[in-house]
Amino acid sequence: MREPPAPARPVRPSRRPAVVAVYVAAAGLGYLVGGRGLPPFRPAPSGAALAGARVGWVFSQPDPQAPAQAWAELAGDVATVREAWPAPLRKLFDLMTAVRGLKSGGQPDWAQAEQLCRALKWSRCDRASLEQLRVRGRP
Amino acid sequence: MIERSRPPALWAVKWVVGSLVVVLLSARWGQFRAEARRAQAFGAPANLSQAARTALSVAAARAAANGAWALGSVDSVKDASKFELDQLPPQGTGSPADTARRVQLLLRFGIVDTNPDGQAAIFGQVCMTDPQVCEHLKDAAERETRTRLVAPGNHLPLYFVPGHVHVPSM
Repeated sequence: MREPPAPARPVRPSRRPAVVAVYVAAAGLGYLVGGRGLPPFRPAPSGAALAGARVGWVFSQPDPQAPAQAWAELAGDVATVREAWPAPLRKLFDLMTAVRGLKSGGQPDWAQAEQLCRALKWSRCDRASLEQLRVRGRP
Repeated sequence: MIERSRPPALWAVKWVVGSLVVVLLSARWGQFRAEARRAQAFGAPANLSQAARTALSVAAARAAANGAWALGSVDSVKDASKFELDQLPPQGTGSPADTARRVQLLLRFGIVDTNPDGQAAIFGQVCMTDPQVCEHLKDAAERETRTRLVAPGNHLPLYFVPGHVHVPSM
């Protein structure tokens, strides 16, 4: 006598796609976050020292060239260096970064430079003077 | 639907620990790629020696001091010069270039100082820092005044006018 067939096991929807999706999302998130320097696998001072050196290098070049993404990342270095400067000198730092274009892809931001120059109460803030500042404001 | 029970540990490994490990590994990979990309830009400071990196890190302060000297107010000149002076190696321990820069900053500081006694004290510091410059102090000061585009400081101060006697305090 034949035994009746065992009842079919309930079919569970496969979770594999969900697992893969979660892992892919985790990998993407990790890559994006890591590209922004988080979590700090390296000690912060090393990053600050590199930021200072990069900003210093740009100041020391007459006409530095770099890809647009590198300029965008340099903005973070500029902010790091600025934080390390004494508060009374930050406007001067901003003025120097504006005339050298450190936050604008190497192109001087004359309008902002003029504003900062006037805020510092310097006697000559016209475009010609600021162009002189760009040339002379090098290490 | 009948849910087959799984051990909670296995569930946690699959959904939580596994995801976290993937996040951390990807983050490290992302950092590695970003660092490699940045290492090639802006002087590749990661490949430089510690001394070279230190020298570059002073460059921003030096640029600001030079910019302030060219066009800045007296306050800007003093603040920026002092900031760079603070970053130079202690007197007597740096290179000849550091000594020359210290002298230059002190000269600028003295040139824009309006107090005669303060001016004499600062030029006295110049003499202590570099006796050779001290022998030609007026010439050195005049060279600096030529690089300043605005007053005060774009002409020799009274300290150097003949008949205006000042003994540098040592």
